[in-house]
Amino acid sequence: MQAGRRLRLPPMRLLLQAWPWGLVLLALLAVRLSKGAGFADAYALISRPFWPGPAQGEWVKQAQRLEDQTRLRQLTADNQRLRQLLQLRSQSRDELQAPVISRDAGGWWQQLVIGLGAMQGVQAGDPVLAPGGLIGRVASVTPTTATVALLTDRSSHLGVWVARTQQHGLLSGLGTSRLVLRFLDKDPGVRPGDVVVTSPASTLLPPNITVGVIQSVNALASPAPEAVVQLSARADAVDWVRVLPRVVAP
Amino acid sequence: MSGWFQRFGWVASGALVPLLTLASPALLQLGGVGPAWSVLWLLPWALVDGPLSGALAGLGLALVLDGLHLGPVSEIPALVLLGWWWGRLGRKGLPIERSFSLGLLALLGAALLGLTLILQWAWLGQLTGPVLYSWLAQTLLTALLAPMVCSVLLLFWRQSGVGARS
Repeated sequence: MQAGRRLRLPPMRLLLQAWPWGLVLLALLAVRLSKGAGFADAYALISRPFWPGPAQGEWVKQAQRLEDQTRLRQLTADNQRLRQLLQLRSQSRDELQAPVISRDAGGWWQQLVIGLGAMQGVQAGDPVLAPGGLIGRVASVTPTTATVALLTDRSSHLGVWVARTQQHGLLSGLGTSRLVLRFLDKDPGVRPGDVVVTSPASTLLPPNITVGVIQSVNALASPAPEAVVQLSARADAVDWVRVLPRVVAP
Repeated sequence: MSGWFQRFGWVASGALVPLLTLASPALLQLGGVGPAWSVLWLLPWALVDGPLSGALAGLGLALVLDGLHLGPVSEIPALVLLGWWWGRLGRKGLPIERSFSLGLLALLGAALLGLTLILQWAWLGQLTGPVLYSWLAQTLLTALLAPMVCSVLLLFWRQSGVGARS
């Protein structure tokens, strides 16, 4: 190898001078690993005066009423059934209202950022509801913000059931506004219009939260029937959400 | 005050990139898609401060931006490569200052950034939604904004002597 082409290491003096930049890179790596802590919190602090107000209009109230009615029916039916079986303990504390402070076109059906974080009691895994029903779960938290992984994300898989037929299924995101519900039973007996709610057997989410409505059923799908589900909450046009902090079992 | 601003203004402007990405101002969107703010900041920085600084700035910026997204894809390869390339361009020949040149470099940079993300999504089998539309809109908008944003940043950093350090 010629002398001029030999691999040259940077002089030690330069390396010693560059240690502050190494610290900066380490700090940025910490930001990366903490899912944006610091920057997301700074953004929440700066953008607080511009957070969406109560002016969402009538459709929010309408969606809220629809959700309340659906939930009431589900809870009544579920209560009667469970009373005969066992006594349930409460699974969630008081809910928290949080504004949606950032959405990105690239990850529109994947995530959103809300303006509440660990300091307000939000934890990873908490269910997140919008007017109409469940839209996702908290994926990561910083002190004052939290990133919500939406049900429409392709990596989202959630155990749900159709209350009318009491059939369980696995609800998976497709990266679009619709989701696919894969049943465990060969003959689920569901039809378009059936309401999908969170499973009473779920250990991750409170039971009977409205998730969506079945749009169509493919009974010929293999190995078990599938259904296309439309979320009852409008995940594409939400600017306030409710977080249900979970009670950690003692 | 002005001395402090000249010394640390580049840090403040760099910190604006993730904040603008989070805010995604509606006025600066094309069909709901915002520009690649990282490209708009990195281009003048690398042109003024050279390839090594450009690549490191690209790395730092990409680490922060990756932290703001849940997905497994990363902006690190594209931003490090762009920082290095633009830094080399800035050290060769006459300084790049013309609006057309800045717009063209930003166009190529935004296109490369979007392409690497699309390839990563495709590799992971998670390519969904109007990806082509978002990619084209972001590339076009970045190129349109580059002459304005990058010119101001170039002027600011040359006056504050950023390039003279390295």
